[in-house]
Amino acid sequence: MATECITNKKVLTKGNYAIAQAAVLAGCECYFGYPITPQSEIGEFMSGKMQELNRGYVSAESELAAINMVIGACSTGAKAMTSSSSCAVSLMQEGLSYATSDQLPVVLVSVMRGGPGLGNIYPSQGDYFQATKGGGNGDYKLIVLAPSTVQECVDLTYKAFYLAHKYRNPTVLLADGLLGQMMEPVEFKEYPYPEIDNSGWALTGAKGRSGRVIRSYAPLAEDQCVFLEKLYQKYKTIEENETEWEEIGTEDADIILVSFGSTSRNVKTAVKMCREKGIKAGILRPITLYPFPNNRLKELACIAKKFIVVEVNMGQMVNDVRLAVNGKVPVELIHKPVGAPPAPEEILDKIEELI
Amino acid sequence: MATQVFKLPESLRENTRYSFCPGCDHGVAVRLVAEVLDELGIRENTILAASIGCSVTIYDFLNIDAIEAPHGRAMAEATGVKRARPDKFVFTYQGDGDFASIGLAESLNAALRGENISAICINNTTYGMTGGQLGPTTLVGQVTTTSPTGRNIEYYGYPIKIAEHIALCDGTAFSARVSLDTVANIKKAKQAIKKAFEVQIKGLGLGFVEILSTCPTNWKMTPDEAHERVRNEMMKTFVPGIYKDVTAD
Amino acid sequence: MEKNFIIAGFGGQGVLLAGEVLATAFMLAGKHVTWYPSYGAEMRGGTVNCEVVAGDEEVSAVNKLETDFIVALNQASFDKFLKKIKKGGTMIANSTLVKELKTRTDMNYIFAPITKLAEELGNIKMANILALGIVAKASKMISLEHLIDALDRVLPPHRKNLLPLNIKALKIGYEYDLLPA
Repeated sequence: MATECITNKKVLTKGNYAIAQAAVLAGCECYFGYPITPQSEIGEFMSGKMQELNRGYVSAESELAAINMVIGACSTGAKAMTSSSSCAVSLMQEGLSYATSDQLPVVLVSVMRGGPGLGNIYPSQGDYFQATKGGGNGDYKLIVLAPSTVQECVDLTYKAFYLAHKYRNPTVLLADGLLGQMMEPVEFKEYPYPEIDNSGWALTGAKGRSGRVIRSYAPLAEDQCVFLEKLYQKYKTIEENETEWEEIGTEDADIILVSFGSTSRNVKTAVKMCREKGIKAGILRPITLYPFPNNRLKELACIAKKFIVVEVNMGQMVNDVRLAVNGKVPVELIHKPVGAPPAPEEILDKIEELI
Repeated sequence: MATQVFKLPESLRENTRYSFCPGCDHGVAVRLVAEVLDELGIRENTILAASIGCSVTIYDFLNIDAIEAPHGRAMAEATGVKRARPDKFVFTYQGDGDFASIGLAESLNAALRGENISAICINNTTYGMTGGQLGPTTLVGQVTTTSPTGRNIEYYGYPIKIAEHIALCDGTAFSARVSLDTVANIKKAKQAIKKAFEVQIKGLGLGFVEILSTCPTNWKMTPDEAHERVRNEMMKTFVPGIYKDVTAD
Repeated sequence: MEKNFIIAGFGGQGVLLAGEVLATAFMLAGKHVTWYPSYGAEMRGGTVNCEVVAGDEEVSAVNKLETDFIVALNQASFDKFLKKIKKGGTMIANSTLVKELKTRTDMNYIFAPITKLAEELGNIKMANILALGIVAKASKMISLEHLIDALDRVLPPHRKNLLPLNIKALKIGYEYDLLPA
């Protein structure tokens, strides 16, 4: 255990380094990655640290290779991860689809930048769909965790490893360029979760038993039907047990703002400004983007008169909020295509326009 | 007293759901791999990265632990397995399309890094499973379903000589091309597979064997005719031999 | 009370480091604090800046429209950020490189020859830390002691030999407005 990384006091740390250090503390045994801004510090930190700790690190030849190296390592039950951004996460979609079907505990850190295509390196939330809906083939889900502070980058990295192994499902930590590059005081406590027993499925060499196969290939349709039903039973369990969100001021709110990640910080301030002006506003911040807090949104739709989603993209999460609210009350969108989140004053102005 | 002279290797499963086409050399290659695993006594310490193509169900034949890899990514997955569990014996079993076309980047980079793994590549000059299309090793002049008038280099470019390319990489410990067209060559092939496995066990780097194989179904030949083609046509472009062996004097 | 600071200048003037020292000092003082850089095209020349937001409550908003304190180490930063200063806010400008022009009357200007003072100290690279001394004095939000502790933490081991000089620079900045005009 890399106990020298544990800090009992706060340390000013950049989001990317916080994620990397937390991964090491979570017991990550292998890191495979390919550089891309704005997350390259993660691989840089890992290259030195993993060697020092005699763990695995490969500067992969591509993101295609990186995600498949993670799959290989995970097939042995190891804790393994990669990290990347937007256009390069696109290259990993095939691997993620396989990993869900292979039921492997892959951890991917996705630090969003502007898109589509090469886009730019400014912060963005344009990969909400990429993470929650996936670009890979077939029916599958990734568990998606969205931090909004550097401390949460640490806490949710721990959680990503835990959930990935608990459910044997690829898990994404969905940060953005702003969080990756920002510094805040953080505490690195010990990995708080129990270790998951993987002896029932991990590849170890077929000692005293017949060969164990991890595969997605199901040449017979009936086999695939059985498998997918089982997979979706698992997703139901995840939805029941792992949905996480934060709420402020929703109990009596007329207007409920919904926002995730770094953007939610500005929305919180805007909500405060609303309250000062006598507008009864509250915020719901999904921490897990999958599973999404559908049921809570549905409940709140009975109290609130309007929902306003704030995100830095052309409007992605707003679709999920609309599905959850199911036409009960209007769901509006405040958005900015790319860049740092809209300022609280700008959000407040738009809220006033919309009500 | 009767002496058993032939038996199923421990590393092969007894009842398999699938089989290869009649006359296909895959069956021989898989048996050789199983025999070598048995002889080296490493079956219970082995993890295979399987591939896509005719070899897709390799884990239905070999009674060992295996992870399926997406098309072309077996060398990356084998790298991941080995880095996570350096004490395990790790190898891939791939076709030429998987290893040298879609997976060329993964294959060459694994060789360049000197990954301590082994790779078996079946070269049958076509994409067999999808119905006989032009692949990276399709010979000049060869007719396939996507080179209906034959592979002409002006239009399709050249086939790749895999064993030679892998031998050029500094991280490669052993690279050889063998064939399965005669009993003598099958014996040589087994020796090469053993060598490619042993260099990994000794920690010397990548061990690689390209196996020239038949595809009677897509070549539209009898098994005998197919072996004739291996000898008379394939071997002219793909010359058998050992291209690198760091253990040789 | 939450306040925000922008430190801006040429690449190479130590703008990001100065921001990190300031943010660390706020952390040591028990405040909530966030540091973030502007990055992108600016990384390859032109002006660089970072913003530090500090307060008693959890820092929520980033990318604020207005700023309480701006340190402009060069003319381009002065021109770019003047309009971003809050009413009653303060522009701390490096008068060695910035023209002393006061076009706004609803805010405060502090012109100090930061580069020149650093040169006199014997190391032009101390300008960024010297400016922090002025920030501490002008904002009354952070003590010299916390800034010194922060410097000790932030300076990498191979730069630790420069700690005494950095502390001197801080003090010169802190005492600057006490000097005769």
